[in-house]
Amino acid sequence: MSVAAESSERHTNGSDVPLPVRKSTSGALALRRNLVAYAFLSPFLILFVVFTAIPFFWALWLSLQSGLLAGPKTYVGFQNFANLPRDSITRTVFFNTVKYVAIIVPIAVLSALGLAFLITNRLVRGRDFFRALVYFPILAAPAAAAQIWSYLLAPKFGLVSYMLSAVGLPDVYFLSDPKIAILAIALIEWWRGIGFHVILFIAALIGIPAEMKEAAIIDGANGWQVATRVTIPLMRPVILFSIVMCTIWSFQLFDTVFVLTQGGPMYSTATMVWYVYNYAFRYSQLGMAAAMGVVLLLVIAPISFIQMRVLGKGVEYA
Amino acid sequence: MRNSAVATASVGKTRGKFWRLLPQAILVYLLLALLTVFMIGPYLFIFSAAFKETYTLVSIPPKLIPDHPTLENFRNIFSNMPFGRWFINSTIVSTLSTLGTLIVCAMAGYTFAKKEFVGKQAVFAVLMATLMIPGALMLVPAFLVTNSLHLVNTYGGLILPGIGGAMGVFLLRQFIETLPSELEQAAAIDGCSEFGIFWRIILPLSKPGLTTLAILSFTGSWNSLIWPLVVVNSKALYTLPLGLALLRTEFQVNYGATSAAAIVSVVPLVIAFAFLQRYFIEGLTIGAIKG
Repeated sequence: MSVAAESSERHTNGSDVPLPVRKSTSGALALRRNLVAYAFLSPFLILFVVFTAIPFFWALWLSLQSGLLAGPKTYVGFQNFANLPRDSITRTVFFNTVKYVAIIVPIAVLSALGLAFLITNRLVRGRDFFRALVYFPILAAPAAAAQIWSYLLAPKFGLVSYMLSAVGLPDVYFLSDPKIAILAIALIEWWRGIGFHVILFIAALIGIPAEMKEAAIIDGANGWQVATRVTIPLMRPVILFSIVMCTIWSFQLFDTVFVLTQGGPMYSTATMVWYVYNYAFRYSQLGMAAAMGVVLLLVIAPISFIQMRVLGKGVEYA
Repeated sequence: MRNSAVATASVGKTRGKFWRLLPQAILVYLLLALLTVFMIGPYLFIFSAAFKETYTLVSIPPKLIPDHPTLENFRNIFSNMPFGRWFINSTIVSTLSTLGTLIVCAMAGYTFAKKEFVGKQAVFAVLMATLMIPGALMLVPAFLVTNSLHLVNTYGGLILPGIGGAMGVFLLRQFIETLPSELEQAAAIDGCSEFGIFWRIILPLSKPGLTTLAILSFTGSWNSLIWPLVVVNSKALYTLPLGLALLRTEFQVNYGATSAAAIVSVVPLVIAFAFLQRYFIEGLTIGAIKG
């Protein structure tokens, strides 16, 4: 945008500034306006450059290096990326993360959809109460939720073990059985995270015009048909948003795993972010950690891009 | 089926409608009761565990109400370990990074909403693009930056990287755009300075947007684990999530102590939620774009 165009725009805004007679005054005004704007932006921009922009490019650079956290590093090109698939832990970590995402996303989104239908059922009074109810677990820090569930899931004297034995099922070692641990983590994350999706879907359901459902009913549709052929198709943008968010968060699972299992037993709950943290700060393999970070970026960025597109269009009912 | 229902209702036989809907109502409320138990049950059980004595904690079957309620667990976390200190640390860190975020993002959001300047679109596009970056990618280099600023193991290292964020700018830009420009112009005519317009006109009018951002920023900081984990290693500087995470490995404590600690860490947010529920729920979708 040219300087002249900018200043004329300012004048059409009905500003009090008298029309400049000479061109140099107009240039000075535009300069002042830009200076003021950047002065307002500067606190944000300084922090942004120091704690976001520099770390971003540094992260890319680190993935091409090898060395310790504190100490000299050597340039190794794409060696770290070549080493990733050769390392059995890396493969496990990648597999675990994808498996976890594949388990949690469909379960979370579908159950949230079911719960939203339940809460907005015409027979239900006190919708706001139930909306607050599902928000409640979100308030807990992941670390707090992990501690809460570590007692509930404790073998023998834990509440869940007791309930299993009450119905005649054998005791389960939720967090120390390599086959079960990731499912236990998924259960905790479901408890803490489901409210987000439910609240989103409730907003969408309330926003759907009643006439559309009534029209379908008059045409002879039953409740199930109204839901699957009218309501859910209208909720598509919100459902997509919810799937995308759940996927992004699930790929970044860390806190619960860190508190409860440290990635174990036998690396069965080791995730990609767990790998980044441990390889950088525990195992002194900085380059490998950075390379895994870049892989995570390559997974998350395209999904986020879809999310921004959805958001750009505006999630109609949310 | 439905037609007959309409017909029945129109005749006014509400009794018939009642009996017809009863099974559905029972099912619906049964499921809602289950949901209620599942959502707040864990909190209630842990609340009770926080008052249990050591032997009640491991009793089989588990007891929902402690035999002899005791404050021993709270005494344990507050006097045998620096839990009080961690609570104060979390309060300081979350409060300061929230205040910083509000000021910095409000100034930037105001500029993007109301000012024209060279490079506006480009800078904004770059900010939005950073929302796509997963936090874990930045973990190591952000630590190295903080280290080179000599901020590792300081409050500054806990607070400063948490200030700002493209999400806050986006949120406040959206909000400030809806404010009428006439007010600023009137203030400018009255001789109000640029900063005066922002401080005395824009900020007071942006209260709802600022409240939403404050909640997002505060809860995010209050609950954050991974950044404090890498940037702090002295126990005196732990925040609550870090303390909670390392409680059992570093202090050999029982479930009574972890339960008490979890409860104490959640209480401030529950109180805030009770008063500001609307903003919490509003912030939910907006906060989601932080990724």
